[in-house]
Amino acid sequence: MTDAQWFLIGTLALGAYSIRFLGLVSGQLISDNKHLSKFLADLPGCLIVALIASSLAGADPITWTAAAIAFVVALISNHVVITMIFGFIAIFALKHFFI
Amino acid sequence: MKQGFLSILPLAAGAAAYGFAFGVIAAQLDFPWWGIAIMSASVHAGSSQIVAVEQFASEGFVIGAVLAGLALNMRYLGIIASLNSVLKEVPLFQRLFAIHITSDENWALTFAKRAKDPSIGAPFLIGSGLTMFVTWIISTTGGALLGQSIPNLVDYGLGFAFTAAFIAMARAMWRNKQDTLPWVITFVVTILLIKLSLGSAFAIIAGSIAGVITTGLTQQISKKAAA
Repeated sequence: MTDAQWFLIGTLALGAYSIRFLGLVSGQLISDNKHLSKFLADLPGCLIVALIASSLAGADPITWTAAAIAFVVALISNHVVITMIFGFIAIFALKHFFI
Repeated sequence: MKQGFLSILPLAAGAAAYGFAFGVIAAQLDFPWWGIAIMSASVHAGSSQIVAVEQFASEGFVIGAVLAGLALNMRYLGIIASLNSVLKEVPLFQRLFAIHITSDENWALTFAKRAKDPSIGAPFLIGSGLTMFVTWIISTTGGALLGQSIPNLVDYGLGFAFTAAFIAMARAMWRNKQDTLPWVITFVVTILLIKLSLGSAFAIIAGSIAGVITTGLTQQISKKAAA
């Protein structure tokens, strides 16, 4: 491996862990603050919705349709694996028939 | 911990497809298989690794590639901060290890399970994190070693399985109708910011903060209305 590749991996590893460590410290500081601690209780739900939004932001109509199907399956089943299976079947079938 | 190991397996299968694809790309860009293994173990940030390696190959500048990769990883500020309630009772060395092996998938699954069963905590997070961590290392290294002899499952729509899983996890984390407006705000703000060309990592953080602020505002309005 070249020196540049080693440097890339080293700095990326250091940076990635620093971000996580900063998250750990800030989580502790926020939880110690009475007014801000509620922020941490609401954060996970908002973060996961934002992750879904980011994966759909540039997606085509087929992916949005599959997401809508997965949403309905999730509402009914409230089960991760069942929703994954139906989501995969939906996008596979939609791509097969419409592309 | 065993429950965490097993519960995450369907998601680990999806991550393996991504890991394999990354390994293929990285090997084509002259990274040796053992270098990819070291990178996956030490960095452990899927999308950041992909972006950094691609930037490095196309631009040739290490600092630019690292910054691009780290920008995508900024969401872990919020993800790890939110783990405070899960990790506060465990020893420091376990906390420092847990934050390294935490991924989007096992973090979200931990909170989804915890919403149904409050006894779910650090052992589940660490067990599921270890599964994802090992899967990522093996799949990326496997991709580098086996190259293109196996079809890219991501092209068949396997990547969407993650989105579907996150939708199901959000459903499990939905507490009551008071979550609806903040979540809609989060969704719309995140999409708008990405459409306005803000990096997705920053859009995720900004969208989440907009949602949390909305929660605070709606609760204050409800309290005033009740008083």
